[in-house]
Amino acid sequence: MSTCPRCQAAEEKIRVEHKGLNAQGELVWTIFHCNACEFTWRDSEPAISIDYDTREAFFRVDPEKPYPVIMPPAQYK
Amino acid sequence: MSTNKKPLSAEAKAVGERIGSLRDFLEFLEENGQCITWTDEIMPEPDVRNIAVAAGRDSMNGPAVIFNNIAGYPGKKLVLGVHGSFTNLALLLGHPKGTTIKELFYDIISRWGDDKPLLDFIEPEAAPVNENRLTDNFNLYDLLPLYRINEYDGGFYIGKANVVSRDPRDPDNFGKQNVGIYRIQVQAPGEFTLLSIPAHDMGRHIMAAEEEGVPLKISVMLGNHPAMCMFAATPVGYEESEFAYASQMMGSPLRLTKSGNGMDILADSEMIIEAELMNGVRTFEGPFGEFPGSYSGVRKIPRFKVTAISHRNDPIFENIYIGRGWTEHDTLIGLNTSAPIYAQLIKDFPEVVAVNALYQHGLTGVISVKNRFAGFAKSVAMRALGTPHGTMYLKNLIMVDDDVDPFDLNEVMWALSTRTRADDTIVIPNMPLIPIDPGAEVAGKGHRLIIDATSFMPPDKLGSDSKIVTPPAGPEIDEIAKVIQLLQNGVNS
Repeated sequence: MSTCPRCQAAEEKIRVEHKGLNAQGELVWTIFHCNACEFTWRDSEPAISIDYDTREAFFRVDPEKPYPVIMPPAQYK
Repeated sequence: MSTNKKPLSAEAKAVGERIGSLRDFLEFLEENGQCITWTDEIMPEPDVRNIAVAAGRDSMNGPAVIFNNIAGYPGKKLVLGVHGSFTNLALLLGHPKGTTIKELFYDIISRWGDDKPLLDFIEPEAAPVNENRLTDNFNLYDLLPLYRINEYDGGFYIGKANVVSRDPRDPDNFGKQNVGIYRIQVQAPGEFTLLSIPAHDMGRHIMAAEEEGVPLKISVMLGNHPAMCMFAATPVGYEESEFAYASQMMGSPLRLTKSGNGMDILADSEMIIEAELMNGVRTFEGPFGEFPGSYSGVRKIPRFKVTAISHRNDPIFENIYIGRGWTEHDTLIGLNTSAPIYAQLIKDFPEVVAVNALYQHGLTGVISVKNRFAGFAKSVAMRALGTPHGTMYLKNLIMVDDDVDPFDLNEVMWALSTRTRADDTIVIPNMPLIPIDPGAEVAGKGHRLIIDATSFMPPDKLGSDSKIVTPPAGPEIDEIAKVIQLLQNGVNS
């Protein structure tokens, strides 16, 4: 595991979600989740989804930037 | 809303009685060569999406595909494409293979309504969906064979769940209980985001719960009766029940029971995920490959926490491939998008013959109409733009004569080739439009196009030989008018 494939958040921001085992109980793949940008991925996926440099730059996320909020909760207060 | 009903055929009645669940329907599809099982071992990505897209290419006859050998998910079952072809829908409605889309359209119209619901309620203990119940240590990644649907999706999506929620201000009202399909992104083993907007019934429930500061409880139904999915995706009235519509279409009772958190749910679904809105929390969600064929971007949206899970033994995870069309999404919702537009139009214009709004949820529609006089089809088009669905979706409208089958694109192209004049099209600028239309100049606002591909009609001649009446006029009449005013005011002349 290294950085987030989408936002390049550091390793400490990434958590292990689930390990997929085969019928013999051997590890097949692991699912990770980025606490910074909420990206979820499996380490067995093709590079186009999980390799930062292979992914189209258009799909990068900067968690520090403002993103649209659906039904902003503040409007009800 | 209801239309004129015809009694169901014996075949339709028999199918309605036989199919009470997803499992029943898969068995029926398999018997008819419309469901295959992929037994070779596959990886979740990219194999599931590759096979789903290939199976979905044939929108008339493509099969449902069951996966039972996904690496890392031993023993788990996934099914895609249950509503992936019109033949699968034909079988559900008791028709033979080879039934045309137009025949299906008229059949759905004849069953449309919620005035005669057929609902049986059974005790939760007797419901197959309660064969197993979890109340803690939830792990959606383990319970469901999850995978990335399109390569740049932000995570693993549940794309075909039927979500039940109640109006937090009127929780006992059965009609205001909503069943809808909303995209769900798993965000943690026991948490997920759910995308809704204020215009959706679910969006109204979320806003009401946060305004009142009360909990919003939902039940996420997975692997459902195939009629339920069709109506969960249909915009029916706020106070109309999707359960009622679905049962009426089948002509046989749907079995309902109560979920652990008080929703009415299908007793024979594969899994129910009970959850509660995390009031005030918004989480990064997306992108997600949506039905116009493009990704909708990253947003911060409401988040839910799982509170309990019920499931049948060996549950089947039913999901959908959605993206650039044709996909299962188009078949699932196409006829149920077309039917209400038709039902609304014929109230004012009985000359309307059929409505095809199959394309990208109705972003392009084709309406056939018996033209009465020059320009009449355009008036009908304007009315279509003013229907509830048309207001946000009908971007391109092609009007054809009643001798053209709007579901047969060869016939529609013939009408466009032979009956359209370039100066007889209308563009209406700056109209409301769904925000995810990639062709819009500004999200939420765009232009509408009406192409009148009906044949030449003479104008209505009534009155064309009339002569203008010459009423009395001049100073003498003006003087009389003044006298009348004085008399009215009580002054004697």
